[in-house]
Amino acid sequence: MSILQSGHGGGGRLSSELIAALAQRFTSRGLASPEMEDCALLSGSSEGSKSRGISLDGFTVTPRFFPGGSLGKLAICGSLNDLAVRGVKPEALLLGVIAEEGLEQEELLKHMDDAAAVCASQGVQLVGGDTKVVPRGALDGLFLTTCATGTLMLPQAPGMTRLEPGDALILTGAPGRHGASIAACRYNLDVPGLESDCAPLWGLLEPLFALPGFRCARDATRGGVGTVLCEWAEGRHLGILVEEEALPEDTRVTSLGDLLGLEPLYLACEGTAVVAAAPEDAAECLKRLQSHPLGREAALVGYVTEEHPGTVGLKTSLGGIRVLDMPVGDPLPRIC
Amino acid sequence: MISSDSLARSRACLKAIHHLAAPLTEPLLLMEVCGTHTMAIARHALKQLLPENLRLISGPGCPVCVTHQRDLESALALPRQRGVLLATYGDMLRVPGYRSSLQEEKARGASVQVVTSAMEALELAISSPTQKTVFLGIGFETTAPGTAAALIRAQRERVTNFFVLSLHKRVPPVLRFLASQKDIPLGGFLLPGHVATILGEEPFAFLAEEYSLASAIAGFEQEEILLALTALLGQITRQEFRLQNLYPQHVRPQGNPKARQLLEQVFRPAPALWRGLGELEESGLTLREAYASFDASPLVPPLEEPLKEDLQRQERCRCGDILLGRLSPPECPLFGRGCTPLRPLGPCMVSGEGSCAAAWRYEKKSSEHVGSIENTGSAQRTGAAQHTETEGRSFL
Repeated sequence: MSILQSGHGGGGRLSSELIAALAQRFTSRGLASPEMEDCALLSGSSEGSKSRGISLDGFTVTPRFFPGGSLGKLAICGSLNDLAVRGVKPEALLLGVIAEEGLEQEELLKHMDDAAAVCASQGVQLVGGDTKVVPRGALDGLFLTTCATGTLMLPQAPGMTRLEPGDALILTGAPGRHGASIAACRYNLDVPGLESDCAPLWGLLEPLFALPGFRCARDATRGGVGTVLCEWAEGRHLGILVEEEALPEDTRVTSLGDLLGLEPLYLACEGTAVVAAAPEDAAECLKRLQSHPLGREAALVGYVTEEHPGTVGLKTSLGGIRVLDMPVGDPLPRIC
Repeated sequence: MISSDSLARSRACLKAIHHLAAPLTEPLLLMEVCGTHTMAIARHALKQLLPENLRLISGPGCPVCVTHQRDLESALALPRQRGVLLATYGDMLRVPGYRSSLQEEKARGASVQVVTSAMEALELAISSPTQKTVFLGIGFETTAPGTAAALIRAQRERVTNFFVLSLHKRVPPVLRFLASQKDIPLGGFLLPGHVATILGEEPFAFLAEEYSLASAIAGFEQEEILLALTALLGQITRQEFRLQNLYPQHVRPQGNPKARQLLEQVFRPAPALWRGLGELEESGLTLREAYASFDASPLVPPLEEPLKEDLQRQERCRCGDILLGRLSPPECPLFGRGCTPLRPLGPCMVSGEGSCAAAWRYEKKSSEHVGSIENTGSAQRTGAAQHTETEGRSFL
């Protein structure tokens, strides 16, 4: 292993390699759970008590204010969503602030207001935290870290191990809005109406948990929807086939993607999830998602297959199939 | 999302292509010479849908892929110097040099900044007057006018800390080189719509007139590519060769006079190095005398001779044969074995437009996938989303 590059933080293959190498120092000593997910589940302390979920996430977005959100809002939504996709109702939160000397206090308070607004809407209490100020240049402005915890509301936590061939895959909204909004800011492109999808997902997903056929869900953050599908296909050693025409689309994301050479399926979402459901409950799952404001665009986009284990195929409008591979590092804009 | 009208036109073209190709006795090779075409063909999985005796090969149309190792080493050496910032298009970052890439240089502390235009690089220079900002001028006649416009402004505003390492290349000379290769049995060219938007039709006319090759200027949507392929097959079956402009909504016969004038004012044709092809006459764009003070070449420190093992490793990369269409990406001995998007050895595997990356990303295992498509349930369309045609492509 040589030196770290920004691509190691991009959520694709380079990230997976790095994380595996870091975790190995623990797993080799028997100190880490074999299934490390974004949200860990800790079994109840006494007989019959419910399991708890706990999740930690760091946030370092540039710019810190973007259409549809801010670093403060993102830091809360991100952590809460890690819990929500595992059936854990978020209850309490720890917040770590690491700020650079010279940051406007007013800006920091604005992020706290945005963070508090999400907590208020979700009934989440701030129960502790940590604040550090580092010398100018030690970091870029402001980093936030959040640790969220809550109660598992299902007998068993949903996870990709429950995926079976024939399961339907549902996307709760058009992919790539967060990544596209950030890219638009970074490259000074004005795309009217383009906004990050940054939002807490518990309310959208909770109605699904009562369905016996609900399998699992994942918020498609770094690496986007494509990466989630690849992780599922590779992790469960099953195939996945998606129909391009069935994918919900935000034409603003597509246009920006065309302009910069970025594929919407690999751009981050912060309020859009991939949901898997057994075929018999797929229609009901879709109906419940579509009746929530965050799920109006939800669509059945593909299936889990027995064929081509470990591979995600995308069927194009003319009937060809291409492979959707996990991206390597950061999405980089293309030349022309 | 593709409209149903467009889909119907695509299907009709596909049917015509199969009809026209059926009587051909020899396999037909057609070359696309634009990275965006390569990506679009792969993205729409078109190769699977074409007749078996029609083979599409990707020519030297990806600006990153045609960058010669020596030029790349110059680019890597620039930001290693104190006070020099290299501004580059994003897809150059991961291209491997002998020992490093711009991304690795950046991680080690070199000043490397991703920009989306030469003008943005010029603005960086203006905002940091104590630093020398070098724009890495990559690309064909599509990106070169942008570089020219930045240089004209830099001269007008007397900016003295802005430089360009011009690795810009011209498409027509490399087309002539390809057309004259006797060992590549090309039937015709799918010509780059973006380059033709700038140059117009005339610079491509020689393909039909002098070499009896089919040629069609094509757009980038699925139906536009299929329409152009239909036209190429039509020319070949009738043995009537001419340049067809099938992208007339963007390509005027005279091209874009303003952009051509910018090119003419700032650059002159010069020999250039192409990865895998060597030096081709008149195929590069170098700065004219009046703009020589912006040339970054004098800032490049003397380069060390590459080590023997580095040269040997590079030689195993068959990018050159792939750019010429002699090999398809999976035929390269390194494809997937030592050269993957995660650990690329050649630029064709790095760039989003590279034919190896496209083959890896979009075609890997695709053929296996096709066999059983009938067995897997097909996702139903749900919701009544209004599908509008993609808009917002930008041209110069």
